[in-house]
Order: sequence, then structure tokens, then C-alpha cells
Amino acid sequence: MTAIIEARGLKKAYHATHALEDVSFTVGAGRIVGLIGPNGAGKTTALKAILGLTRFEGELRVLGLDPRSQRDALMRDVSFIADVAALPRWLRVSQALEFVAGVHTRFNRARALEFLRRTDIRMRSRVRELSKGMVTQLHLALILAIDARLLVLDEPTLGLDLLYRRQFYDTLLNEYFNKERTILVTTHQVEEIENLLTDVLFINRGRVVLESSVEALAGRYVQLTVNPDNVARARALQPFYEREVFGRIVMIFDGCSTAELASLGELRKPSIADLFVAKMEAV
Amino acid sequence: MNTPQLRMFQTLVRREFWEHRSLWAAPLAVTVLLLICAWLTHGALDIDASDSAEWLDPQNKTIVFALAQWGLTVPYYLVMLLVLNFYLIDCLYAERKDRSILFWKSLPVSDGATVAAKLFVGCILVPLGTFVLALFTDLLFTAIWNIRAALGHSPELVAWDTVAFLQIQTLMFLGLVISILWYAPIFASLLLASALVRRNVLLWVTLVPLLVVIGERIIFGTSYVYDLIDYRTDGIWKSLHLEGALLGSVASVGQGVVISLPRFYDRVHVLPAFTNIDLWIGLIVAAACAYAAAWIRRYRDDG
Repeated sequence: MTAIIEARGLKKAYHATHALEDVSFTVGAGRIVGLIGPNGAGKTTALKAILGLTRFEGELRVLGLDPRSQRDALMRDVSFIADVAALPRWLRVSQALEFVAGVHTRFNRARALEFLRRTDIRMRSRVRELSKGMVTQLHLALILAIDARLLVLDEPTLGLDLLYRRQFYDTLLNEYFNKERTILVTTHQVEEIENLLTDVLFINRGRVVLESSVEALAGRYVQLTVNPDNVARARALQPFYEREVFGRIVMIFDGCSTAELASLGELRKPSIADLFVAKMEAV
Repeated sequence: MNTPQLRMFQTLVRREFWEHRSLWAAPLAVTVLLLICAWLTHGALDIDASDSAEWLDPQNKTIVFALAQWGLTVPYYLVMLLVLNFYLIDCLYAERKDRSILFWKSLPVSDGATVAAKLFVGCILVPLGTFVLALFTDLLFTAIWNIRAALGHSPELVAWDTVAFLQIQTLMFLGLVISILWYAPIFASLLLASALVRRNVLLWVTLVPLLVVIGERIIFGTSYVYDLIDYRTDGIWKSLHLEGALLGSVASVGQGVVISLPRFYDRVHVLPAFTNIDLWIGLIVAAACAYAAAWIRRYRDDG
């Protein structure tokens, strides 16, 4: 697996707050990685470090380059949407296309136009005249038309309604993603991108608490809805998370044999959202 | 510079005119206003000039003609100065304020290129564009004036002097080049302020120098900062000996006073401006300010 991002011991402090404390992870080529964490966990700081937008300590290579000293070269192969409202309000749609075409040699204007044709966005409109959903569509059209190796998305669907959110991820998956491309996305709406991800990276209080492929998660974690009589026996197997749902106890186990657990209740694969909550509350 | 880089730079420059529409709209508004003024009194000019015989003296007519050419450009440069000041204090600040910097920075454009494009627009393109626009306005205004004078019964007022026109335009062009070079550190420091200051850039760039000047006066009883600002404002014009040239070219004609243009041109020496070491030191300061602005844009992290 070729590493697209290789981070070792990333540290970053804003005044007294430690945004990143010894963060290490690897992102492989052709993966869709969800960087997931509660507010203030350090997600945005990690992304900013990757994009060369902030200074930090530690070792970080993105596409083999150091974002601190080689940002300009890096940006030829990296695209990002760091804020849903980042497009300047005075910009016209036609100007946005012209600008990106003028500065990016790997921008395919025809592709962006093709994408925009499917929307209600008009070329003469200014960004300020578009709805929030349309602004995101425009931004996505610009980004999707860039032939980049790494796409970084920070809460790309924040504040959008369900239809736009669904459409956003569908477009991303169907029209952009392929084996040569890697996507790193942060969101707090985990359930929405659950089926999209190939890997997850949970981060909390500036530390990575879980780094795994989605495939490996299924083999490692198991969720047990315990039969009331078996609660004590189940607890003896040391679940790392436990909660009560409609009067029944639900536990999540890490690396426990399913044969043993099966006799204690109903087993199922925990969703990423369940695992996320479990991991965050277990810390 | 290879083609993609040139194309990128052109795009960056065009973007400035998309965002800051006053850069082109304000000079165009001046043109429209001046041309309206040229037509202000409808129809043909009909002024009886026989009373003012001295105006018909060819030498005086040339002076009036040259002064008119110069006078017509004054509104342009006043408006340009205003527009450029606001442009420069805003151009690196607005993108942070509306967070669009995150969009610009998602594209492969270096901070150096971004700052260079802004400085190029503010220090070179807009001043030169203003000069060209003012030149065409001079021509158009004169043409309108002459047509109206000719159509009326005032052929005495028809004025055109190719040599005087070329001389005054050359002088104004050289003056513009000297201004660009001399004021470059002021422009670049405004750009630096727009990259540096968190909010209220206008307040900072006006209040801080004022407070420093007052503070220096009160605490040390000196006025070095004031002298420096004063020198950077009009020092270069003193080195051209403009005042002396003007005084030296004044001649008495009858009861009136006129300026002899040939004498004035003889006495204005442009070369001392270019051999003034402070002009070149200023350019180094301007480059340092631009570099600092690019550095701040590159490494600033507002969290």
C-alpha cells in the first residue's frame, strides 16, 4: 500500500490548548478515510497540518512532500474544501470557472460545466445570489473537475439539507473516486458517510483513538444485545462499552470470540456511529 | 516566465478587477463626468474673446492649452489615489474576513504570486491604465471643445499644439513613473497592513502613524517620524526643483504674469529623481514589505 499521508508524532498547541498530541496515522492510496471526532477533537487542526495551513511539530509527508516547506508543489496534486462558505460572495460562477482554469493546469472545464448543467446554477450568478446548497454544488463542481490525487473535505455538507447531502456524497463516489484517488473527509454526521468509507480514523482530545479499515472493524468489534439473565457473564468478558437501550443492555466487545458471545444474546456488527460513540465515551 | 505561469499571473490580475470593481469603475466614472463637462453647455461655443487680447497671444494660448491638459488629469489621479488606498488596505484583509482565503489557498497559487499580482495591480497597472485613460480623455475633451468652438463663432478658442501636447504628456508620464517608484514603499506598507492587522485596517494605518508622531513629540520632543513621513510624501518633488523651475520661468508680460513653457521645461530636471538614493532605498523597503505580506499570508493561522 502506497502511503499518501504519513503522520508521525504530530503535535500542535494553540496557546494552552493541545489541539494535537502525538498523532500518528497512515492513509493509503485509493482509500476513502473518515476522520471522525467530536467538536474540538483536533480534526480541523490535523487537516490544516496536512494542507500546510498551520504549523506543527512532528513528521508529516503528504504525497511524499512536507506541507510546511513544499506547500506550493503539494497543491498541484491536492484539492480541498475546507469550509462550505469559502467561495467569495462577489464571485460569479463564470469567473470561478475561469479562475480555476487559469491557475490550475489539471482543471477540466468541460467536466465542471457538465456537472453544473445538472444543477439550477446559472453562469451569470454571483455566489451571494446562490442558496447554500447551490454554493456547495458549485464548489464541488470546481473541485471534481480537478484531477488531484488527494481530496480533503472538512465538514463539506455542514448546514445542508438531506437531499443536498445525499447528492454530494453520491456524486463524490460515482463521479470522482477511483483507485488513483484518495479522499480524506471529516464530518460529525458519521452515519451519513458510513457506507462510503474504506477506513476510519477516530480522534479525540488530540489523540488517535482508533485507526482501522472498515473491513477489519467487522472482524474485530462485535455488538451484543445481552439476554437479561446473562448480563453478569457478559460483563466478565470485559466489554469496553455498555449502555441500556429500551431496558436491554447493549455491549461492545473488542477482539472477543463470537462463539462465546453468541450464547449470551443477539450479536451484530456495530455501526461506525455506534463504535464512534462507544470509543468516545470509553476514553 | 513560461506560459502556464504567465496565464496564472494574468488570471490573478483579472481576479483583482473582478473583486475590486472600483479599480476600473472609478476612473471610467471620471471619464464620463469629464466628457459630460465638455458638453455641459449645449450646442456651439459662442464666446466673445475679443476683450481678452492677451489670450490670443500664441505663447499664452500654448500655456493655457498645456495647463488644460494637465488640469484634466488631476481628477483622475485624485480618484486613483483614493481607490488605490482602499484597495491596498483591503485586498489581503477581505479574503480573511470572508474566509475565501481557504478557497484561494486550495489552488496551486503561491502566496508570493498572489501578493505580487496585487502589488502589480496597485503599483503599476492601475497607475498606467489611469495615465492612458487620462491621455485619451485629454484628446477627446480637446476635440469636443474645438468642435464646439469651431461650430460657434469663437475660432480664437480653437487650440491644438502637438509639441505642447507631447511635452506635457511626457512630463506627466515621467512624473507618474517617479511617483510609482517613490510611493511604492507606502503602497507596499498598506498591503502589509492588510495582511497583518486583524480588523479595522483603515483605523490602524491612519491612527498608528498619528499616535507614533504625537508620542515621539511628547516623549522625546523630536519629530523624526513626522519628518520621515513628510519626506516620503513630497521629498522627491523637491529634488526635481519644480518650485525653482516654476519661479524661474515666470515672466512679466505687461501687467500680468505668465509662465514660459520652454523655460520651465529647461529648468525641470528629471534625472536627479532617479539618482536620488532614497528612491531606491524605498524600493528595497517596498520589496521587504511585500515579502513580509506574503510570508504572513503563508504562515498566518487564525485558529
